This record gives sequence, structure tokens and C-alpha cells, in this order.
Amino acid sequence: MEHFFGLSITFFLMIPVGVLIGILFGAVPGMTATMAVAVCLPLTYALNLNQALALLLGLYVGGISGGLVPAILINIPGTPSSIATTFDGYPMTVNGEGEKALKVGIVSSLFGGLFSAMVLLFFAPALADVAIKFSYVEKFLVILFALTVIASLSRNMLGGVFSGVLGVLVSLIGAYDINLGGNGEYRLMLPFMEKYLQDGFSLLPVLIGLFGLATILEEAANGVPEGSAGDAVGRLQPAKFSLRVFKGQAINLIRSSSIGTFVGMLPGVGGSAASILSYTQGKNFSKESSKWGTGIPDGVIASEASNNGLTGGALIPLLSLGIPGDSTTAVLIGAFTLQGIQVGPLFIGENPSTWHTMMLALLLSNLVMFVIMFFSIKYIAKVITVPKYILDPIIIMMCVVGAYAINYGVMFDVWTLLIFGLFGYLGQKIGIEIAPFIIGFILGKSAEIYFVKSLESFGTLSIFFTKSPIAMFLWVLILLSLAFPIYVKVKTAKRNEGRSTGGP
Amino acid sequence: MAKWFSSLLKVHIDFKTSDTFFPTIVIWVLLSLLVLIFLVHGIPYLRDLRSGKRRLTLSLPHLDKLRFFGTLVLTVAYFLLMDYVGKFFPNTGLGFLFVSIPFIFVLSLLYAHRVDRRKLVAISLNALIAPGVAWYVLAKLFNISLP
Repeated sequence: MEHFFGLSITFFLMIPVGVLIGILFGAVPGMTATMAVAVCLPLTYALNLNQALALLLGLYVGGISGGLVPAILINIPGTPSSIATTFDGYPMTVNGEGEKALKVGIVSSLFGGLFSAMVLLFFAPALADVAIKFSYVEKFLVILFALTVIASLSRNMLGGVFSGVLGVLVSLIGAYDINLGGNGEYRLMLPFMEKYLQDGFSLLPVLIGLFGLATILEEAANGVPEGSAGDAVGRLQPAKFSLRVFKGQAINLIRSSSIGTFVGMLPGVGGSAASILSYTQGKNFSKESSKWGTGIPDGVIASEASNNGLTGGALIPLLSLGIPGDSTTAVLIGAFTLQGIQVGPLFIGENPSTWHTMMLALLLSNLVMFVIMFFSIKYIAKVITVPKYILDPIIIMMCVVGAYAINYGVMFDVWTLLIFGLFGYLGQKIGIEIAPFIIGFILGKSAEIYFVKSLESFGTLSIFFTKSPIAMFLWVLILLSLAFPIYVKVKTAKRNEGRSTGGP
Repeated sequence: MAKWFSSLLKVHIDFKTSDTFFPTIVIWVLLSLLVLIFLVHGIPYLRDLRSGKRRLTLSLPHLDKLRFFGTLVLTVAYFLLMDYVGKFFPNTGLGFLFVSIPFIFVLSLLYAHRVDRRKLVAISLNALIAPGVAWYVLAKLFNISLP
């Protein structure tokens, strides 16, 4: 426990600040946990590492949790990860059980968050111990595996792979870094861009553009509609809440949290997948599956436990392999880099105190989230009534601050923000998927180094297959991840065929 | 046979041109993916087009042109002016503050539907307070560089 001494008051102050801002972001539809982290990054420039971690983890946990408020009250998920919360949460509100639904969601969120934090605590160091023995060959294969997993779980497999590889290509723009063993030549650009793009596009402006500005552009294109959310908040009736609702829900809680944690570990697969997968599994296992969707607590529990389970899960590959588990943890990588910390297999072993501080911050964030939301949910719910014409311009302003300040005042970074804001908006229209793109972008440069250096030293492609048993095992995983979606597709096609030919 | 196979896998990378080795592979992968996407999704789409099942629509549905392009124009103007004005007050972040106020004001007006007196007051206050607070906290308290 000696690691916990020496933490400043600011550290303990940053957690509630982060959680509260996160909840507010999560509660406003269209703003996500990722956006909360991206927009608040400039605040961390002035903090030390521990304080920054407290703020960012608070934002992450709060952002994921806040999404349940509008999901339950106005049937619009505040963040994509609370999508399945609407299935039973909103019907509960319609039945006059709005406050009960909110509180069930909050308790489930707490359980999911703590569950995944425990898994993280035990699993990340173990995985890092394995990963520490990796040479460039295995490291390259891990990245390849991450990309194939993303692809196989994307809505559209080809589109997912394409987005991931496109991210890799964009990350290679710039000079081939001499510090990493490159030859310093510029590539993938025209001569006039060399002045700006020596180090390629900076990670944070790219992230802030994709997750901040692109969202605002999307809203503008939709005409920034003004809803009547005020009525729903006014309709909230006070209800006595007792933990008895959770009687008989232990299995549901544990199953949903495990699904969330597992999905979180898979790179590029976001909270919406966790929430929906956990909801459908809960429904399949339930004895009264016909009641699901009519407004029963079970559905809210399944969705909310899983999306908070995501938080700890997504941090596992980040801290043990350096691969972000979802888009929010991708932004966290940026924040780490900012503080001069390289995440990867060595992280936990070399920075034990930072690791313990992180765990403490994650734990406290979940507890603080619970306290804030459970006791002041009625007031927090009011945030969904703040009009977008007030919020959206402020978001753009904060995006600019974040992009400009990152490299101590480079105007090109602000233009990067605009370029990727537009790319994020237009790209999604033509089927580019942002999560695979960003993970490809983050891992691209390392992938190049691992691949090229392995070939330079061994001189043959066969090294990728024969280097070690771990390499062979990784190939098995890669093949499995590619075979899985094909298997699912064939299976569903067969089932549909059975139906259309007049099956039972 | 085995020898021939292992010679096939041999790779030599010239350091001078090593900067293009990996990007070239990535570009080829992307191109082959494009071809694959065309085969899987493009051809059925074209077939539907020809048989008249689907019609080619180039117009974007539900695009609020005024607000979308308004946002783009304002944002570009915001970035340019911020840089320009900031040069008169180097290292103070005042360029950011002075340009953010009108930007937020105009953008809010663009986004709001049916502006009445009450909304106008809220928008004006927000346009003054939000950049003011951001500037004070970031530039003054935290010493973060702003344009």
C-alpha cells in the first residue's frame, strides 16, 4: 500500500471532477466518453501523470455510465454503449418506473466496473509477463492479430479490414524515423507538405477531429434538432429503491460483466457490441425471455453491467500489449504519450507505482460514479435539457484548444483537426469504420518497424512462422479470427435457407 | 523443392529504399481489398442498378445544407482569424479569446431554431462566458499555449 502515499489532494479532487464531467458528456446524446476524454485532454497538460490519470479514468468511467440517463428517460442512448439499455429502460419509464430503472442501471454499472477492474488487476500483469518475451516478430503478429480481430467483428468485414489498413497507411505518412532505425526519407506526400508532416499527423489532433469535430459536423448535417427532453425529466416520480430488485440476478450480473470485460479486451470492438451481446445472451438464458423488452430490470442490468465491464477490459490489452481495446483507450494512449509514458509489455513492471495509482483511480472512479449518480440522478438528468446550440460551439472551441496546445502551439495541428473531422464525417458515409481506422493509425508505425526490422535481420519471410512456438500460436489465433465470421455467415445462411424452403 | 520454396521467401531490403518497402506492401493490400470490395458489394449493386431495382441517388438525404456548410465556413474562418489576430498579441492567447466570442455567438445563432429574446440572451451570455472561462483557466491558471 506504500504506493498510495504521496498522492496529492489534487489527485483525489480530479476523480470526482472527471467523473462528473464524464457523466454529463455521457448523458448528452451525441456526446460520448471518447469525446469527453478527447475534449478534456488540454486540462491534463497542466497536471502531473497521476493527476492526469485520475482525471482521464474518471472521465472514462463517468462517460460510459452517464449514457444510461437519456437511454432510460427519452429512449435515446447517450453513448453507443448504452444502446441496449433503451430496450427495457425506456419501457420502465413509460410504466412509471423511471427512477427505479435509473438506480438499477447505476448499481449494475458499479458492479460491472468493479468486476472488470478486478479482472484487469490480475490479468494485465500476467499477460504482460508473457508479452515481455516477445521479439519484433511476435510483436508484429500481435498487431496483425489485433487487425484481424477488428475485421472479423466489424459490421462489414471487408470494410473493417479496409479501414484498419487505411489507418496503417495514414500513420506512415511522414519521414521514416531515424530514431527507430529508418533512413529519414519522406514518403507518401508531395514536397510542399514536408514542412508540416515531418512527424506525420499528430495522434491527438487526429483523435479529437475524428471523435469531436466529426460528431458536431454530423449534428449540423442533421439540422441540430431541438427535442422536448424536459418533459421526461419532469415526469420522474420519486420511487423507493431497495436492493431486493437484484434478488436472483447474480448470474445475470456476472455473465453480463464478463461479456463486457471480454468484449472490451478485443481491440476496436466498442461498447455497443458489448451491450447488445450481453442483452441477447441474457434474454436467451432467461426463463421468462418473452418479458424482455417490456420493461423489466433484467434487461437494464444486462446492458449496464456489460458496458461498464468494458472499462477494465479495454485497459488490459492497452497496459499489457500497448494495443487499445476501444476508441476511448486509444485516446488514453495519446494522453500517456503526452506524459512521456510508453504503454506496452514493460509498462507495469517498470512503473509499478503508476500501475497501482491507475488501479486506485479506476476503483475510486467507479465508487465516486456510484455516489454521484445514485444520490443526484434527478439533477444530473436535467443536463439532457441543455440545448445543443449552446453545447456544440463550446465543443468545437475545446477541440481547437486540445489540438493547438498539444505540441505547444502548432497551427497545423488545428488544420489536422479539421481534415480528420471532415474525414470522420464523410468516411462514415461511405462505410469507413472509425474504430478500426484509429487502431490501425496508432499501431501502423510500430507494425512497420517490427516487420521491416525482422526481415532485415533474418532475411526471410519464413521467420514469421518459425521464430517461436508463440509465433505459431499467434498464427492459429489469426486464422481462427478469420474463420469465425465465415463460419457464422455460413451458419446463418444455412438457417435462413432452412426457413425459406418451408422448414418447421 | 524445399530449397526453391525457401529461396522464394528470401527478402533483401536495401536500406536506402527501405522507407518505401512497407508502405508499398500496405498500398497493394489496400488496392486488393478495394478490388475485393468491388467484387463482393459493387457488382451486386451494379446489377441492381441495371435491373432497375435500385436507382442511383447522388443527393445526400436529410442534409441540412445551411447548418452543415455554415459550420464548415465558420470553422475555417475561425481557425484563420484566430491565427491572424493571435499574431498581434503573441503568447497571451488573446487571439483565441477575441475570435472565439464571435465564433460561438454566430454558430449558436446558426444552430438555434426560432430565436426569441430569451434564447438570444442565453446565447450572448454563453458566447461571452464560455471562451472567457476557458481562456482564464487554460491560459492564465495553467499556462497552456493558445493561439
